[in-house]
Amino acid sequence: MRPSDPSALAEDDPVPSPTSEPARHGRMVELAGLPIRQRGGHRREIIAVAVLAVLALAVWSVVSNEALQWDIVGRYMLDIRILNGVWVTIGLTAASMAVGLVLAVIVALMRLSGNWALRQAALLFVWFFRSTPVLVLLIITFNLSLFYPTLTIGIPGGPTLISGETHTLISPFMAAVLAFALNEAAYSAEILRSSITAVSTGQWEAGTALGMTRARIYRRVVLPQALRIAIPPLGNDTINMLKGTSLVAFIAVFDLMYTAQSIYQLTYEVVPLLVVVTLWYIVLVTVLSAVQSLLERRLRGRSRKLGNAARVVAGGKPA
Amino acid sequence: MNDVVLEAVNLSKRYGDDLVLDGVTLQVQRGQTVCVMGPSGAGKTSFLRCLNHLEKPTSGAVFIDGELLGYEHRGDHLVELPKREIARQRREVGMVFQSFNLFTHMSVLQNVMEAPVGVLGLDRKQARSRAEELLETVGMAHKAHAMPEQLSGGQQQRVAIARALAMRPKVMLFDEPTSALDPELVSEVLETMRRLSDLGMTMIVVTHEIGFAREVAARAVFMDAGRIVEDGTVEDVFRGAANARVRDFLGKVL
Ligand SMILES: Nc1ncnc2c1ncn2[C@@H]1O[C@H](COP(=O)(O)OP(=O)(O)O)[C@@H](O)[C@H]1O
Ligand SMILES: [Mg+2]
Repeated sequence: MRPSDPSALAEDDPVPSPTSEPARHGRMVELAGLPIRQRGGHRREIIAVAVLAVLALAVWSVVSNEALQWDIVGRYMLDIRILNGVWVTIGLTAASMAVGLVLAVIVALMRLSGNWALRQAALLFVWFFRSTPVLVLLIITFNLSLFYPTLTIGIPGGPTLISGETHTLISPFMAAVLAFALNEAAYSAEILRSSITAVSTGQWEAGTALGMTRARIYRRVVLPQALRIAIPPLGNDTINMLKGTSLVAFIAVFDLMYTAQSIYQLTYEVVPLLVVVTLWYIVLVTVLSAVQSLLERRLRGRSRKLGNAARVVAGGKPA
Repeated sequence: MNDVVLEAVNLSKRYGDDLVLDGVTLQVQRGQTVCVMGPSGAGKTSFLRCLNHLEKPTSGAVFIDGELLGYEHRGDHLVELPKREIARQRREVGMVFQSFNLFTHMSVLQNVMEAPVGVLGLDRKQARSRAEELLETVGMAHKAHAMPEQLSGGQQQRVAIARALAMRPKVMLFDEPTSALDPELVSEVLETMRRLSDLGMTMIVVTHEIGFAREVAARAVFMDAGRIVEDGTVEDVFRGAANARVRDFLGKVL
């Protein structure tokens, strides 16, 4: 028996506690009646105050920093060139994400298909576009005319629908969308694939046993559940892409970043313009995050709300 | 009366080297309730899954109301039917799973309406009133707008039964429908199944619930190692118990 063991000490206690049974019970009732306080006094409040103080200091050191030239920042925040850049950044991100997601759904379904060739093709796509740097991709799509001087869209052996010189058909903006979309498709396809496989096989079997076709099970049962799982990582990707589109500076598309650069190259107001850019990205990311959490909440609660709506229509009593 | 609804002929199923079903033959009369019993690994689930082509038998055939399931006859061989055709055939066979498998993102009512609207093409109003009727039958009408996650296991299983019934199947398959339930929830599901049987539904039920089998099933088959080793009235299978394996198993379950 170790002497440090408290129960051992109690057992070995030569003098049994003299307290009588009623007294012991009285003490228990007394303890049971006491209020409960937070352990550790005001530790929580002290930490909160400290954190706020550090935060305030940090903010103040930024705001009061002369080097940031806030007056110039204020002048450029709503400058028409900067606002145009903001729109281009939004447009690039939205278009690339939209095209990327459509491609991603196709690639993800190919990867999960029963057909060996389709699976391998999808695998190749993901492998290639995940391993190619976006910047390289961007430069390739921008210079597509070097590789393919003319582009022809038509039915093979049939009529030609569109034909022309590549550099007139594909604007720098389109080249950028193409590059970002291909890159995003490779990543999102993996997100979608893992979300789809995360839906239990029982859902497939239940649908199959009810006589639903594969396509219908995907559409009505599996994809809605997979989407719920995929929204957080897709939101992450969108935010990443928003800032990643600043690579278009390399192909001279005037997005937010490149616009700012082209201004400070003339005026040397480098720091305040970088602050302007940062503030705008903060605004855009904040909006995106809000949209994401809204979507997450909607998807989680959607079926429940539909259920409520159905009840109202049925004239039943809400629960 | 010899009105056979479901007929399995010489079904075999092989997984690699494992012969999981070894020539299973079974005829089920319209309105009959057949209990399938047997030790774990006997092939009960595999057998049931062959009966709606969730699993392809390695050899043998299944007929639903005389129609060959999953294949068409071409000269001297069988060819698997197009997926769409197989899906159509599956409407005739309802299935209830051990783990319920309700669509988690749909309310109870939506779960029951989904296939009638999407697969049978019923208009929503019709499908809805039919779904409400069925939920009434299984005693779940008061939870029509609840989500599956808000229900107990027994309630989920009763909804799953209503969902399968909504397709107006000719046969209902149950794979250990109460095995995943807490003991106090078993009877509500069995009660629902008993009512179905009384209403004349043809049912094949894999279960270890001896009491249910005694009271509801006219017939029981006992499977072991991929074969049906006993087939008769429930009493026959129990009392006879000529087969040592059956005796052994019953000794454990009773
Ligand atoms: N998909 C599968 N792949 C390989 N073996 C399987 C598969 N499904 C079932 N089995 C095997 O088949 C045998 C019978 O399984 P099952 O039909 O589930 O029996 P039961 O339902 O009677 O317990 C078991 O030995 C099991 O391991
Ligand atoms: Mg089983």
